[in-house]
Amino acid sequence: MDIRSQISMVFHLDKCIGCHTCSIACKNIWTDRKGTEYMWWNNVETKPGTGFPTRWEDQEKYKGGWELVNGELKLKSTSKVKTVTNIFHNPNMPTMDDYYEPWSYKYKDLFDAPAGDDQPTAKPISMVTGEYMDIEAGPNWDDDLSGSPIYAENDINLDVLSEEQRDQLFAIERLMMFYFPRICNHCVNPSCVASCPSGALYKRGEDGIVLLDQERCRAWRSCISACPYKKTYYNWNTGKSEKCILCFPRVETGQAPACFHSCVGRIRYLGVLLYDADKIEETAKHSDHELVDTQREMILDPFDEDVIRDAKKNGIADSTIKAAQESPVYKFVKDWGIALPPHVEYRTLPMLFYVPPMLPVMSSQEGDSVRSINEEYFPDFEKARTPIKYLAKMFGGGNESHLRYVLKKQSAIRAYRRAVTVGDIDMLNAEKALMEADCHPKEADKIYKLTSLCTFDDRFVIPAAHREEAIEMMKDPLEHKQEAGFGFREAPERGK
Amino acid sequence: MKKTFTLVIAAWSILSLNLFGQDVEGFFKQNCASCHSIGGGRLTGPDLKNVHLRKDESWIKNFISDPQTIINSGDVYARELLSDSRGVIMPKVGGLTPFIIQSLFDFIKEESAKEKSKYGGSAITDRPLTPSDIVKGRALFIGETRLKNNGPTCIGCHSVAGEGLLGGGLLGPDLTNVYGRLGGKKPLAAWLASPASETMGPIYQKHPIDEEEVLPLVAFFKDKAVSNVSVAGVHDFNFIIFGFVGLAIVLVLFDLFWGNRLRSIRRNMVEGKI
Repeated sequence: MDIRSQISMVFHLDKCIGCHTCSIACKNIWTDRKGTEYMWWNNVETKPGTGFPTRWEDQEKYKGGWELVNGELKLKSTSKVKTVTNIFHNPNMPTMDDYYEPWSYKYKDLFDAPAGDDQPTAKPISMVTGEYMDIEAGPNWDDDLSGSPIYAENDINLDVLSEEQRDQLFAIERLMMFYFPRICNHCVNPSCVASCPSGALYKRGEDGIVLLDQERCRAWRSCISACPYKKTYYNWNTGKSEKCILCFPRVETGQAPACFHSCVGRIRYLGVLLYDADKIEETAKHSDHELVDTQREMILDPFDEDVIRDAKKNGIADSTIKAAQESPVYKFVKDWGIALPPHVEYRTLPMLFYVPPMLPVMSSQEGDSVRSINEEYFPDFEKARTPIKYLAKMFGGGNESHLRYVLKKQSAIRAYRRAVTVGDIDMLNAEKALMEADCHPKEADKIYKLTSLCTFDDRFVIPAAHREEAIEMMKDPLEHKQEAGFGFREAPERGK
Repeated sequence: MKKTFTLVIAAWSILSLNLFGQDVEGFFKQNCASCHSIGGGRLTGPDLKNVHLRKDESWIKNFISDPQTIINSGDVYARELLSDSRGVIMPKVGGLTPFIIQSLFDFIKEESAKEKSKYGGSAITDRPLTPSDIVKGRALFIGETRLKNNGPTCIGCHSVAGEGLLGGGLLGPDLTNVYGRLGGKKPLAAWLASPASETMGPIYQKHPIDEEEVLPLVAFFKDKAVSNVSVAGVHDFNFIIFGFVGLAIVLVLFDLFWGNRLRSIRRNMVEGKI
């Protein structure tokens, strides 16, 4: 076993209110520079919808991620031959229009306009060209527009539904939507890293954060094609690509990343997972339907004696193992099995997991009148507005059984809590439902607590970074012990 | 180790000197015979028979080692030689050492003493040139007929009165008037039999122009020198047209290669094309 530690994440979609505070927190810290205006390392999408960049999930067009060719994992976007033949042009990149042309407004006109009959207006100007522009799209153009005939209907995940199911989704009172916040998944098998011809991308050994070396990047933009989640971005000003760094300067100092820290709905959880790096390739080679399970198997039990021993042998600090034992992510993913990886069929083994949302039917339309039908508080989730098939396409690699399991469990826990706190549901029935959902009252309490009453420290279990040890891999710190204040930050040309 | 190395070097030098001793004739043939005969009369350069009686030894050796400098120094005899050869300056032969110069000098002296030197007359037949030679020569020059010993085709580097699609190559000098410049049939034939310039020498040494091919080429050059037509303007125009055609082909190829690239998704989607 080659045990590595990975800082992983869980987003609880039932709790997301779509306020975009995370996006703004991230933008204010990292991407308010020239050339990064269009980047959203963190963005929140409305589902069904086409997302940012438009239809990023359409890998027939964007060629992101891995594919199995004769039992071997191959990048969809590139190969050694393609790197050479496409050396002048990477053919599968989103255009600026697919992201959006970033803009601001000419606010100065509000003050400087000469007196006239109408109020002055601030016209939009492009932040790329500086010219006046017509705003046609934005990073969240379809926000809340679940029924929109263009953006929502073109959600590629809807392709798995039958015509009838699709029509239902867009009928009044059946309309459903949920929010889908996204950051870099810091994958275990990252296709961006594999595609980079310059070796600029790397997965940090100590915590698995995927980073992009700004000095090594040579603007090939292979990562932009290769990342199926489109979470690397090209800075047109510096000529280098950039991506979410999981706020590593914050994480190293024990703080949650900005988007986690600022999350209003408290949907975000962060913790350590231990996994077996020897199994990465084998895991990623399984069929779409098995991938959720095999990825889970790759994640190891931090309480297992053997795992602890081998982890220590691999140089993983005791504090990190302890953090792994307390990790909320481990609980959601392994203990309870209610968090699932997004689009696991891209085979990058994402380390950000989602608790899928429940959207029960609350009312129905009959003739001209709308009638409430929630006589049962927690009706059968099979009748929920969100088709299981649709969610399975997003979070189960097409395997509906995982979604059934998660939704059943969540539904049972709600009923159980209703029985505890309100009492209008029969406790015996509630407990029976729990049993059927592979749960028991103790576990239900824990899930309830971590979902609803979680404190800061419950949500973010950040291990000490041990940078002092990580740096020893590169150089001997003692070599510089007495040099503080002397020498050069970057060696001069001569006299190296 | 160092000693062994020195020994090897020394042994190698001695061996190479000896080897050269046997090959001075080859050197002469390769580098000198294209312009000079020994007792066969003037080619591009003067006949070398009894040259050692015409000038003293040190002058001759200096001239061999660097003709241009001697000519530039204003030496009267050297100027005379230059005008005799219609302004063709003897090239400085590469790889000359005092030892090789001495060997050459001795070799010429030796050959001069002979009744009939091997270099006394051109090996090329003295038959007159015919119109069919001109046609054949043109075919050889522009590469319609491959040179027998697989030497590169003349037009690759040379031009003659705009012959060929793009007016010939630009690397070597224009050969329209080469017939007159080198002094007629005999010197030109001698040059072609073993070209001695720094560029052509090493190439044609391995793939010499066959004797049968020399006369047709001479005939072709003579014909061009006599007719003396200039067609440069037409070829400049052709060159531009050729450039545009080439560009169009490249663009079509680009489109074939990268035609399937991702152009826009959102716009197509909004316009209902997805």
